[in-house]
Amino acid sequence: MSQEQIDILQRALQREKAARKASEKILEEKSLQLYNTAQELKDVNQQLEHLLDEKTSQLQGIFENINDAYLVMDLNGNVIKMNDAAIDLFGYDIEKEKINVVALIYNEDYGYAMRSFNELRTKGAFTNYTARVNTRNKGVRWVHINASVVFDKQKKPIAAQGIVRDMTDEKAAEQQLIDSENRLSALILNLESGVLLEDEYRNIVITNTRFCDFFNIPATPEQLIGQNCEHAAEQSKHLFLDPEGFVTRINTLTQNKKQTLSDELALVDGRILERDFIPIYEEGHYKGHLWTYRDVTLHRRFRENIEAEREKYSNIIANMKLGLIEVNNDDEILMVNQSLEEMSGYREAELLGKKGGEILLAKEFKEKMAGENQKRIQGKSNSYEVQARTKNGELRYWLISGAPNYNLNGKVVGSIGIHLDITELKQLELQKENLLQKLEKSNNELQEYAHIVSHDLKSPLRSIEALTSWIKEDNKGKLDEASLKNFSLIEMTLEKMEQLISDILKYSSIGATTDESEEVNLNTLIDDLKQVLYVPENISIDVVNNLPIIKGDKIKFQQVFQNLISNAIKFNDKEKGHIIIDYKDKKSYHQFSVSDNGIGIDKKYYDTIFKIFNSLKQSKDSSGIGLSIVKKIIDLYKGNIWVTSKVNEGTTFFFTIKK
Amino acid sequence: MSNLLDVLLIEDDTIEIMKLNRTISSLNLNHNIIEANNGEEALSILKEGNSLPDIILLDLNMPKINGIEFLKILKSDPSLKYLPTIVLTTSNNRKDLLECYKIGIAGYVLKPLKYDDYVSKIEKLLAYWSVNELIKA
Repeated sequence: MSQEQIDILQRALQREKAARKASEKILEEKSLQLYNTAQELKDVNQQLEHLLDEKTSQLQGIFENINDAYLVMDLNGNVIKMNDAAIDLFGYDIEKEKINVVALIYNEDYGYAMRSFNELRTKGAFTNYTARVNTRNKGVRWVHINASVVFDKQKKPIAAQGIVRDMTDEKAAEQQLIDSENRLSALILNLESGVLLEDEYRNIVITNTRFCDFFNIPATPEQLIGQNCEHAAEQSKHLFLDPEGFVTRINTLTQNKKQTLSDELALVDGRILERDFIPIYEEGHYKGHLWTYRDVTLHRRFRENIEAEREKYSNIIANMKLGLIEVNNDDEILMVNQSLEEMSGYREAELLGKKGGEILLAKEFKEKMAGENQKRIQGKSNSYEVQARTKNGELRYWLISGAPNYNLNGKVVGSIGIHLDITELKQLELQKENLLQKLEKSNNELQEYAHIVSHDLKSPLRSIEALTSWIKEDNKGKLDEASLKNFSLIEMTLEKMEQLISDILKYSSIGATTDESEEVNLNTLIDDLKQVLYVPENISIDVVNNLPIIKGDKIKFQQVFQNLISNAIKFNDKEKGHIIIDYKDKKSYHQFSVSDNGIGIDKKYYDTIFKIFNSLKQSKDSSGIGLSIVKKIIDLYKGNIWVTSKVNEGTTFFFTIKK
Repeated sequence: MSNLLDVLLIEDDTIEIMKLNRTISSLNLNHNIIEANNGEEALSILKEGNSLPDIILLDLNMPKINGIEFLKILKSDPSLKYLPTIVLTTSNNRKDLLECYKIGIAGYVLKPLKYDDYVSKIEKLLAYWSVNELIKA
């Protein structure tokens, strides 16, 4: 190392020493300054700390003594402090157990709670947190929380504090209010009446759907709230039959502010609205008014309809050709129509209040009337005939149809009778009866006459018979063969003549005899007939179906079967004759048939055989009246008779009898 | 032993009267036949005569008083009503038959067409009455 170098280093060391000395001096001064300052700061700090302590204890006192719950938690949510109210609210005491606020959050509000918590962390506070919390003893409670972060001296967040207000009851009350408001709104919305509530400035407070419908307003009731109604009438007036009247009336009402009910408004489309105007006063001050509108169209129409119906029936009653009387339970006349006046000859005024049966009926019918009125009281309706005496004493026949008259409570208060004058009808009926009697008499006379004629005709036959037989007897042995044959021809002719007379008498007797009607068992009848009739041995009679029991004159049925069977016997040329009687039930009538295997009938005679004196075959014991008698009887029983046949093979007679 | 009968025949027809008389003689019966041509005549016979007949044979169809009217008169008479009256007629009218029985008859015989049948009926009729005990006046 050179001297130069050493010098340089020496000089530097010198400079350095001097600098350090200067620095030490400055440091010494600064230290003193710092000490002084620190001393000052200490004083200030002490003052501040004191102040803080004061404030803290002040706050502590406030928080601990406020009614609302107060709690402090660390940044992890562990509760580190809570006042009595908080203990009471949550049911936990941190002096006894640890509790984290997360545990208190109501499940559904978790998200909201976390967001709020976040807000607390970032912004240092949140207010108006309203949510539910779980408590130990009081279940889920609605709480309102304002919270803020607590910082330490270095402005570092160390905790959070919150004031918790239990607002469950408030919330419930609020909910109730909302509910009832909702109900009211729903009610108003769905009212059958259109409602419009305006405040004193004619702004809409509330209205409903029905109101919007009535006035064809293309908006919802909610949209209308707050709208001013000053000019609403102008906008809606075209809906009404009297637009100007509508506007004027509304103006008058809103100016007068007096309650006005049931204004009637006719709309152009035919509807009719009824309107109430109700002003609302609160402690004497006008606060607005309520309009209500009701659709009374149906009601009104109904009334009109009833009126129209009433008019119609009144007209019918007044103009019908039937007499009408309304009486009370004592048979006192309350009302008669014009036709009855004409029928009876009395004016209505002469009849009112009088007893119907007394004044109008013939003596012997008054009692009947009382009985009929009794039926009305029992609620029965019916028709009956009476003889009425008109004002001028004339007797008329009336047909009365009576029905009980009820009041609104369903009690019988009298009866209403419809009267028809049937005098002419009755006379016709009487005439008919007379005619029938005459007819019966003349029928009987005819019958009598037939008997006399038949007697008178038969007597000479008998005489001739007697005389010829005497001649034969007196001239026994003197008469030749030819004369004897002629005598026997005379006898045969006489017999035929007698048979003819008997048959004519029978034929004319059908229908003239009284209508005897009894249950006739046709099976027994046929059996009896077989005994009575002469049935040759080569002929069999069979009934193939059970015959019915029918109502009628036994003798006539007997005549029918007797004639048909004896014809079948008479006109049978076969070695073995078969006669078959059959029956079919044909719902509204009985159908019978009598078949044989005899000589048959040619088709061309099918009709003529039923005509009187139309015997096809000359026969000793056939007058040709038999089938005419049968047909006449069948006619009498409203039946038919017809025949099917094949010559040489047989014949079937069918006949029906109405059930 | 059969009785001989006094028979009052009320009949307007000559041949009918002849028939009865001839029948009685041909049967060799000795009954006494009293003839009346109608009801009036019969009534006068009954009222004037000293003795009453045993039986009456009555035709129904007669002029003036007919058979039924005669029967009514007869049956309303206190003493004549006991006379057995047999109707002998052509009428088989049911109405007449009922009416006669109602008033009171002892029989109803239809006149047959054939004389032989007539004889047979009359024979039986008279035979029956001749064996009857009768109220003799």
